Amino acid sequence: MSHLPASQSATPMLRQIAERPTVRGALMRAPLPVKVFGALFVLGFLALNAGIAYVVIDGRLDGQWYDVRDLGVGVGALTDWMRDQGVPEVAVYLTSAIVGATGVLSLVGVWLIIGPWLERRAIAKFQVRMGPNRNGPFGLFQSLADAIKLMQKEVIIPRGADKILYFIPPVFIFVPALLGWAVVPWAPEMTYTDLDVGVLFTIAISSLGVLAVFLAGWASNNHYSLLGAMRTVAMMVSYEIPISLSLLSVAMLTSSMRLSEIVAWQSNYNVWMIVILPFAAFAFLFSSTAEINRTPNDIGEAESEIVAGFYTEYSGMKGGLFMAVELGNAILVGALMSTFFLGGYTMFGLETWIPGYLILLTKIMTVYLFFVWLRATLPRFRLDQLMGFAWKFLIPISMVQVFVVAIQASVLARVDAPGVFVLGSFAIINLSMTILLVRLWASRMSVSTIQQATKPILTQVVGGLRAAEQIRKPV
Amino acid sequence: MDSPAFLLAFLILSGITVTSALLVFVARNLMHALAFLVLSFLGMAGLFMTLSADFIAIAQILIYAGSISVLMVFAVMLTPLASRDNGNSLYVIPALMGGAGIAGLVSLVAIETDWAEHSGDALKAADFERTVPVIGDLLLGRYVLAFEVASVLLFIALLGAILLVQDRDGGDATGEAQ
Amino acid sequence: MPASTEPYVLNIGPQHPSTHGVFRLRVVMDGEVIRDLDMIVGYLHRSMEKLAEERTYTQNIPFTDRADYLAAMSSNLGLALAAERLSGVVPTERSQYLRVIFAELQRIASHAMANGTLISDAGAWQTPLLYMFREREKILDLFEMTCGARLTTNYMRIGGVAFEPPPEFWPALQELVDELPERIDEYFELLTDNEIFLGRTRNVGVISAADAINGSLTGPALRGSGVPWDLRKAEPYCVYDRFNFDIPVGTNGDVYDRFMVRMEETKQSVAIIRQAMEQIPAGPHKNDIPLALRPEIGEIYSRVESPRGEIGFYLVSDGTPAPYRFHLRAPSMINLSLLRELGVGASLPDAVVTLGSLDIVVGEIDR
Repeated sequence: MSHLPASQSATPMLRQIAERPTVRGALMRAPLPVKVFGALFVLGFLALNAGIAYVVIDGRLDGQWYDVRDLGVGVGALTDWMRDQGVPEVAVYLTSAIVGATGVLSLVGVWLIIGPWLERRAIAKFQVRMGPNRNGPFGLFQSLADAIKLMQKEVIIPRGADKILYFIPPVFIFVPALLGWAVVPWAPEMTYTDLDVGVLFTIAISSLGVLAVFLAGWASNNHYSLLGAMRTVAMMVSYEIPISLSLLSVAMLTSSMRLSEIVAWQSNYNVWMIVILPFAAFAFLFSSTAEINRTPNDIGEAESEIVAGFYTEYSGMKGGLFMAVELGNAILVGALMSTFFLGGYTMFGLETWIPGYLILLTKIMTVYLFFVWLRATLPRFRLDQLMGFAWKFLIPISMVQVFVVAIQASVLARVDAPGVFVLGSFAIINLSMTILLVRLWASRMSVSTIQQATKPILTQVVGGLRAAEQIRKPV
Repeated sequence: MDSPAFLLAFLILSGITVTSALLVFVARNLMHALAFLVLSFLGMAGLFMTLSADFIAIAQILIYAGSISVLMVFAVMLTPLASRDNGNSLYVIPALMGGAGIAGLVSLVAIETDWAEHSGDALKAADFERTVPVIGDLLLGRYVLAFEVASVLLFIALLGAILLVQDRDGGDATGEAQ
Repeated sequence: MPASTEPYVLNIGPQHPSTHGVFRLRVVMDGEVIRDLDMIVGYLHRSMEKLAEERTYTQNIPFTDRADYLAAMSSNLGLALAAERLSGVVPTERSQYLRVIFAELQRIASHAMANGTLISDAGAWQTPLLYMFREREKILDLFEMTCGARLTTNYMRIGGVAFEPPPEFWPALQELVDELPERIDEYFELLTDNEIFLGRTRNVGVISAADAINGSLTGPALRGSGVPWDLRKAEPYCVYDRFNFDIPVGTNGDVYDRFMVRMEETKQSVAIIRQAMEQIPAGPHKNDIPLALRPEIGEIYSRVESPRGEIGFYLVSDGTPAPYRFHLRAPSMINLSLLRELGVGASLPDAVVTLGSLDIVVGEIDR
């Protein structure tokens, strides 16, 4: 299909971008030596900074309250100091709780400002347009303006709606979106509450949102809302199973359900879980997009079919809360994905130089941008296709994966010092098993639509039914 | 358990649990009753949490608030005239009798139990830090038979459900896997 | 033991993201499956055909802009041709080529819109739509350059075209024609092999060739079902018989085939424009005709191939400057009439995609 000369950019669009009088255009127009030299300069600058950071932080500040790599240390020092002063235990407990909760809430709050802006700008880049760029620098205050606009709007209660239940869901749906952050480890000491059933906790919390969604759809007294709610509930209930199975694999291999221990395991063996359990990572990511209603699985609020799904009737800030929760859930999934499969706050030793929470934030951002990429690219599945994918495809293969991982976990428990060889063989076994199973299963279910991508026949004949049969005959 | 924070938490949570449980059968609308039931489940989970039973609390949220309630939602949706006034049902009398029986049983157990042996020093001796490994050991050790029987039962129920909803003509345009 | 649920009525429209205008579908649904479907039209009715009886033939050309507002050039051309055939006016040679160029540009723009919105209906978050808008934008710029309007062009006249394109038009057109094939290939790469898109459109909304003919479908909807019927080849008007181009036909008659036929047709349109640019002669762009054209008493049915199918004009003249009867055969209206057969028994997402693939313009349906 591609008949472009190799010297030109891949697409006309890229060429257009390079021709624009912007910083990016200038960068793209720059000759190759300048590019290489510039990249080396930037890398050198970063290395210099890292060196300074190493001398300043690693040598002198280890474990002190002003050690910014792990804010939990500071809070620990504060509570210790309060205990020394004879402050009652309740106050100490409350202080640490409030500091932690404020940290988590402010993170989510800041994200609700930056997230929409980032998504809209990124999607605008995908779609060859500018995106929000009027309010504030680079349009950063656009989300603030949107929030103010939403708050000023009238909240209309539809006639026939259930007055009490109509107001509960927008608030109730916020609870799981915030509670989920409780167990995410940001740094060794920086976890709000490090439950020893953390994995189970995340699954339990994600199952709570279902009810709010359903109540929203039911109380609105609108068929679109009800249809969206039923779709979402059916999908969430189905996709909880692959999520649980993939997290079960992770928990079995690390022999812990504590999130900090899962991160520590990955850091110990210097390997990310996505390498060892590729299918589990895929199942988790795909099912998460279904759980949080994002493309290509956003059938619960498919705007071309059922307008806005379960929150069609919510106006003003009530609808805004649903949208905010969607964003909050997207980064929560990003955090969980990073923690379970991408090494959490660790980065092969980089976490001793750079604060762990910054590493985790970077990973969250990466996963989030991946979601944005999906949204800008893919069409939507149909409900029955999506359900079939969960029940006929993800769940059986996840089951097989769980059996294999159970064997691997028992092997791991019997080896004294599992090294590259053991883990590498696990990774190879799992990857090849995944490829084999997916191929076998796909051919068994005969889902090969690629072959159906026929091109139209070009003809010079004109006519009716007989001509149509004539044309089709040789094919 | 002695600190005022725990007392406060206990009072709030038990208040939520009992009030919403009462409202479940006072509510005339089935959906309202369902919402209150979930609230009561959540309050219960909170109570378990104050007792350091993390695992039970989370299981309560996962199974009762997350799954059983969705099951009830589907049941309500498949029931015709679900949102009508349900107060004058004939089932009130047997339901009251059943409720009274269960309440009596619970109070009997509460009165008969020797609470002294479950508090004070005995409580301090227990290790609440890691409850999950203990539960896991018990499930796959002492109670393995019950565990396996339960899993077989659930598996048979799953198969039965699939058999029941199987389309005998083969292939439905929108085969929702419920 | 099939669980039966109560059927309920869902009103899709008149304001809904996927009805492509003010058009209403009254759907009786059972779960996700459509049990019955009513199409309710008339929200955009402007009494165009009655109003036309009070105006001269030239004064009626702006009405055709408002009928199919996504393909104004094609409707303009239809009326101009009908009036010419009725009154015996012969257009100039140069204007014939200009008509072809503009009609084909309009076809590309309209197909870009149709395919973009179809993909939006399938759930892609507007990226393909906006990609296709780039080309549409350039084409509309060319229209603006020539006749001052982008959407309601009012360009064709009885006996020629309204304006000679300005000198800067030709290089701009050349540039567009040069880059269009590349762009169309981009869309092919982006979408044609996408597994999700195939899953959503393959074997959805299938119309057999016989059904398409019996339902008197025209345009890409007919050719998607495999019937090679294109008025540009079947009864060539203007100078279409002087160009070499192919008719793309589908094999299966589903949404995907209609989509691909439109994609392929844009390529063929580019080829036609390229040939027309080479062959265009010099000369006047318009013959002078009397201000109040009085055709002989008689009637005519004249049809052209618009992006949506056969757009036909039935004119009756009583010898006065205004037509005695003015009727527009709207392809959107007739293509839409098959939606009930396609929709009942399908699920809601399939019906939405099918509606998108029929490519309706409500202005033309209601008139």
